Amino acid sequence: MDETVAEFIKRTILKIPMNELTTILKAWDFLSENQLQTVNFRQRKESVVQHLIHLCEEKRASLNDAALLDIIYTQFHQHQKVWDVFQMSKGPGEDVDLFDMKQFKNSFKKILQRALKNVTVSFRETEENAIWIRIAWGTQYTKPNQYKPTYVVYYPQTPYAFKSSSTLRRNTPLLGQALTIASKHHQIVKMDLRSRYLDSLKAIVFKQYNQTFETHNSTTPLQERSLGLDINMDSRIIHENKVEKERVQRITQETFGDYSQPQLEFAQYKLETKFKSDLNGSILAEREEPLRCLIKFSSPHLLEALKSLAPAALFSRIQKLLCYSASHSQGTQDPSSYIPLYPRC
Amino acid sequence: MEQANPLRPDGESKGGVLAHLERLETQVSRSRKQSEELQSLQAQEGALGTKIHKLRHLRDELRAALWHRRGNVKACIANVEPNRTVEVNEEEALEEKLENVKAVLQAYHFTGLSGKLTSRGVCVCINTAFEGNLLDSYFVDLVIQKPLRIHHHSVPVFIPLEEIAAKYLQTNIQHFLFSLCEYLNAYSGRKYQADRLQSDFAALLTGPLQRNPLCNLLSFTYKLDPGGQSFLFCARLLYKDLTATLPTDVTVTCQGGEALSTSWEEQRASHETLFCTKPLHQVFASFARREKLDESGLLIDCFHCTGNTSAK
Repeated sequence: MDETVAEFIKRTILKIPMNELTTILKAWDFLSENQLQTVNFRQRKESVVQHLIHLCEEKRASLNDAALLDIIYTQFHQHQKVWDVFQMSKGPGEDVDLFDMKQFKNSFKKILQRALKNVTVSFRETEENAIWIRIAWGTQYTKPNQYKPTYVVYYPQTPYAFKSSSTLRRNTPLLGQALTIASKHHQIVKMDLRSRYLDSLKAIVFKQYNQTFETHNSTTPLQERSLGLDINMDSRIIHENKVEKERVQRITQETFGDYSQPQLEFAQYKLETKFKSDLNGSILAEREEPLRCLIKFSSPHLLEALKSLAPAALFSRIQKLLCYSASHSQGTQDPSSYIPLYPRC
Repeated sequence: MEQANPLRPDGESKGGVLAHLERLETQVSRSRKQSEELQSLQAQEGALGTKIHKLRHLRDELRAALWHRRGNVKACIANVEPNRTVEVNEEEALEEKLENVKAVLQAYHFTGLSGKLTSRGVCVCINTAFEGNLLDSYFVDLVIQKPLRIHHHSVPVFIPLEEIAAKYLQTNIQHFLFSLCEYLNAYSGRKYQADRLQSDFAALLTGPLQRNPLCNLLSFTYKLDPGGQSFLFCARLLYKDLTATLPTDVTVTCQGGEALSTSWEEQRASHETLFCTKPLHQVFASFARREKLDESGLLIDCFHCTGNTSAK
């Protein structure tokens, strides 16, 4: 076994926390049950790692096996990376997508290897019809750097792929090209969505954030949510704007639903707007071109934060702002298409 | 004893008489008092006695009234109870009707396309089936507004829902629903065939079944007898029509690539036809039966073959 491979496996195993070690090794499925049973996992981590490396050497682990272990580690620790979303499109009148996994893998690898001589490409398929691709980049003269790989999660027969953002940005166009050609699409575009939480991105992009449906089989009726106006409150207190509060509550309910929101960290809107002024002769109001602005919302959990604005009665203002930006943005994609949760105005 | 002496001086006899009179007087007054007391006591006794009578009378009256009332109430209950049982019967009948209606609504699932009204539109449920087996269900929640739009759904991402919606949703909702039903039923059917092949006929497959999310490209190698040596066939099935459960293109090749004897060539060609005309798992079931036929050499199994090929 190559020294670099041994070092790579060692560093990967050292990253794995002890309580996940057996699970990940089982998922890797490289060392047999018997071999794993000979390892005493109660020792100090260094000793365990030494033993495992020894076993890998016995079995002659290759670079590909090591790369596979790295993919599995990343699958378990998805939120350590920040994921971008890419959308591909086909030309009009294209044939039905007959996706052939073998063909895709060969094609993808070939395109990258033709462009850059030194590149390590590994694949792992998951049960949810996704394919994880790991690319370690090198150049014409240097070997691939195994410690700064890029990951791509592609869902075949859909136009979407998720890519981990890496520091080596110069390879992104090549990667996009390889993905597009291998999957028989024409174009690839980066969407304005980014998050650490792959599941949330999937939920937004595949529009699968709410999976509860009303059927005749369901016995629990939809519960009426309390308005936040406590019943315990004194009956002499009358809410002046009760109608308004109820309306806000209803819209929040319809927009956000009862389920847990996908975890978005920020949302950015490009806005082109004209400045309104009461004073005549204001310089800004007389501008011919619209002003271009960028509005950014950020929060550890953006959608939950927006959902909780309703009781705080700030909701209508945010709603107006979003509607305004949706109707006035020109030249950029409709933001309501990225976050299709907000009511259309 | 001293005899009264008439010749005694008056003082002694007067003292005696007066004292005697005094005593008599006090006696009289005492007895008068006593009789007065007695009278008052008697009067009191009399009064109490009448009071007792009165109270007893009152008690009896009240008792009578009470019994009377109870009697009335019982009569009332007796009158009311037949009404109450009627009410309960009506309630039960209504409940039964409600249960029936609910059951009918649930049974609509078996038609393949059913729906339930929601506060903002309708939630359509598409229940897919293949060869009489009920498979997965998919939901589409529609908001009835101008324009009609899909609020959320559980259709898999690789089904071209947006394309179908773009074509039909606004103009002809019936066509939209039927088209979507077609796609989903076909997908479910293809998936069912692939799953059955993997699970029931793993012995005849010599490698993993290659498939894609839509199950419209299947690639596998198989042999005709599970144990012994026979030629390996490679099959590649393409389903270009996403609304169909049978492939549009089938290629079967023999591994090795050498020139085949005519019998194997015939078999190869027949396999191609089989895959084009029958569902995948049924083809493999016929392979398995043919094996049994060869082994046992009995003609009885032929009946099974013909019997099953005619039934679809």
